[in-house]
Amino acid sequence: MTQALQNLFWIFIFPGFVFTVCLGLVASWIVRKVSALVQWRVGPPFLQPFYDVMKLLGKEVLIPEEAQQTVFKAAPVVGLAGVLLLSTMLWRITIDPTRLFVGDIIVAIYLMVLPSLALILGSSASASPHAALGTSREMKLVMGYELSLVLAFIVVIIKSGGQLSLAAIAQQTPALSISGMLAFLVALLCVQAKLGFVPFDIAEAETEVASGVLMEYSGALLAVWKLVQAMMLVALPLFLVMVFLGGFTGALWAGIAKYVLVLVLLILIKNTNPRVRIDQAMKFFWFYCGVVLVAAVILAIIGNSYGIKWL
Amino acid sequence: MNQEELNNRLSEIEDRLEAIEQPADNRIWLTCDAENSYAVNKFLFEEVPLRFVIATGIDSDDCFEVLYHYAYDQTGSIITLKTKIHDRENPAIESIAPFLPGAEWIEREIHDILGIEFKNHPDMRRLILSDDWPEGVYPLRKDTDLEAVKPGNGETPSRPGFKPSPPKGAGQTVSPILAVGPFHPLQEEMEFFQLTVDGEIVTDIDVRLSYNHRGVEKISESLQFDQIPFLVSRICGICSATHPLAYVQAVEELAGITPPERALYVRTIITELERIHSHLLWVGLAGHFIGYDTVFMWAWKYREPVLDLLEEITGNRNNYGNVKVGGCREDIPNELIPKILKELDQIEKKTEMLTKAVLDDPVLHARLKGVGILSKEDAIKYAVTGPTARGSGVAIDVRRDDPYAAYADLDWNVITQTEGDVFAKAVVRLLETFESIKIVRQALKKLPEGPVAVEVKEIPPGETVGHVEAPRGETFHYVRSDGGNRPVRHKVRAPSYVNVPSFKASCIGGHIADVTITLAAVDPCYSCTERLAVIDNNNKVIHDYDTLLRLSREKTAQIKKELGAPELKMEDI
Repeated sequence: MTQALQNLFWIFIFPGFVFTVCLGLVASWIVRKVSALVQWRVGPPFLQPFYDVMKLLGKEVLIPEEAQQTVFKAAPVVGLAGVLLLSTMLWRITIDPTRLFVGDIIVAIYLMVLPSLALILGSSASASPHAALGTSREMKLVMGYELSLVLAFIVVIIKSGGQLSLAAIAQQTPALSISGMLAFLVALLCVQAKLGFVPFDIAEAETEVASGVLMEYSGALLAVWKLVQAMMLVALPLFLVMVFLGGFTGALWAGIAKYVLVLVLLILIKNTNPRVRIDQAMKFFWFYCGVVLVAAVILAIIGNSYGIKWL
Repeated sequence: MNQEELNNRLSEIEDRLEAIEQPADNRIWLTCDAENSYAVNKFLFEEVPLRFVIATGIDSDDCFEVLYHYAYDQTGSIITLKTKIHDRENPAIESIAPFLPGAEWIEREIHDILGIEFKNHPDMRRLILSDDWPEGVYPLRKDTDLEAVKPGNGETPSRPGFKPSPPKGAGQTVSPILAVGPFHPLQEEMEFFQLTVDGEIVTDIDVRLSYNHRGVEKISESLQFDQIPFLVSRICGICSATHPLAYVQAVEELAGITPPERALYVRTIITELERIHSHLLWVGLAGHFIGYDTVFMWAWKYREPVLDLLEEITGNRNNYGNVKVGGCREDIPNELIPKILKELDQIEKKTEMLTKAVLDDPVLHARLKGVGILSKEDAIKYAVTGPTARGSGVAIDVRRDDPYAAYADLDWNVITQTEGDVFAKAVVRLLETFESIKIVRQALKKLPEGPVAVEVKEIPPGETVGHVEAPRGETFHYVRSDGGNRPVRHKVRAPSYVNVPSFKASCIGGHIADVTITLAAVDPCYSCTERLAVIDNNNKVIHDYDTLLRLSREKTAQIKKELGAPELKMEDI
């Protein structure tokens, strides 16, 4: 009984829902504030992301007449569940790495793709031409970066000697080698696309498809999507920190610094680039990133079999 | 071809014309009968060839007139073909749109406002009248009592502005239509683009304009010559120096007035400062449209000092109200010149940085190069002007071709690019900004002493045209006077009127992601008209402007009451 209660506490309070949401909203404030400073603006007050979500929760939910109601309403919840589980799992491993099994890198990859799939489902259920266009773009984008992301993790798995457990992977710092660094950079761009940040905000592209995938969402349902995005902003950089940068194994401040570093890198990429076209994005991930990663995998295999750590 | 050769070319069709008048070297007026209009227009556009500017429809007392204005840029000539339609009951004339797509809109407009039918026009839908305007009422006919017109009586017009949506079901496949507008994050103003899409590719595009038609040409007929500059400067916040200037030059030409030298320089300085801020504004917006908000914010920050300078010179950031018939209203004080020069250095430095950042960015190259190409042939066919034409290798610029103000005395270049894509237009605008800075600098240094205005007594009867190079292209005004103190007809053509329709040539076949930036690349400016109404599906007005205003005020009062705020009184303000 206590075990069950404790599990619920983990999922819903700490390090699950409440903790991740609060941290995520703070992170989204950082994104907005830093973007504003880069653009010579003042930026929003600290609590603005909280206000936004609160306000949306109180707004009327409008659902298009022709929408597939159940899927349309269920999709944000599915997305939320996916990112919640991912975040809880990652933090559990960070806090208590000695626990036998919480999940390995394969589980994490599957959980990471859930919010995108939910978004595709939800927007395609909305019967809006703008959303349909957004859906097709999101699908292409997922197909584009998913391969690169998996290849990047394969580099890490090779570097760690075939380990799949996240706890074990988080003990090492693959980014200190050439192949690991290449994989990290590509994974960073994949995360950029997963977060829907410029230059890969193609599915939402305000000035083209008027927020595309999210177009028909309003009120509480939109608030849930905003929460999913905020939580992704916690989970995805944390995942990168754990897989590539050695996680929170050292001092706590070092771990936080690594997380902030990844976040700032994402923000800077977001603010120094225009949006690319979907065909350009797919080409980028398949050909350029693909070639880089194949090279990285080869380097990692060579490095591993000859014991050269820096390759 | 020089002026003499042009005159010889024009005399080739003498037998089809009733008259050729040439009040000035580069102003030619041809008159012909309505039956000959098609042939003469075809000759002028295809054989000579001239650039189509616009057409003007006029309700003269005994007949309707359609004036086709053409320009010959090598000599800066404006050639106007006047045709008269004597049948007032069923006025009709052959359409020239089949060979001149740039005339499609204006013929629709003339049909809207005067009821002249254009035979063989490919698409006679409404252009500027709203969908609730009653059929058969033509606002610019002199005998129309506008007070008696009751829009929104529930009748669906036989010529709606929208393309009717295809019927649902019935087993046929219908291409999805993507709506950009009437309100869309892409556009600052109201216009409605219907994109028919096949996946990511745009297969057709249609536009509906005039959600905000203010009837400037009609208002202008009720104002005195002296008041009109204030009206036309409000057509557009960004072209608020060029519209009055084009009008004033037309009237000055009619009255034979030469403004003092210093006034010409002051006009030059103000219009060039306007061009600088307008081009910077476009760079920012273009950045925003492709999701590059950092460029958006930076460009607009660098634009601010230009607006401050304009405010210091004229008293206003926009709507300067500085030109008048006979000169300028306000002088540039000599003690201000060193300050302006210093600010210009700063602006130049920052624009250089911005230009470098934009032109060296590889992602921007990937995003803008080869996108939305408007070929030189299409640029001529659609009769586009300004940076849109110059980006496609058509080297026209009114400032050089038909010099006005002080441009002939100053040293500057016309910037052209041959590619015709969005990137080329961006390059043209950015480099033009530097030319403008150069012009302002020289004009300030050369600024002659003396008065800035001469007195104007009377405007004689007659008709005249004036054109000016606005930031977006050629702004063209036509004025007809009967010797009174008000014009009997005043036609305005803003550059976007010819630039926007070129999307048919540059957008179809492109990606949706590219279409938005292509639409924006002509720097569209919808100087349209004012009317506010809430319309239901049957085009019935359910709230007019007054009711909406009342509802809005009531709601404010209600909210205040709920908040317990004290009643706001006039004395407090």
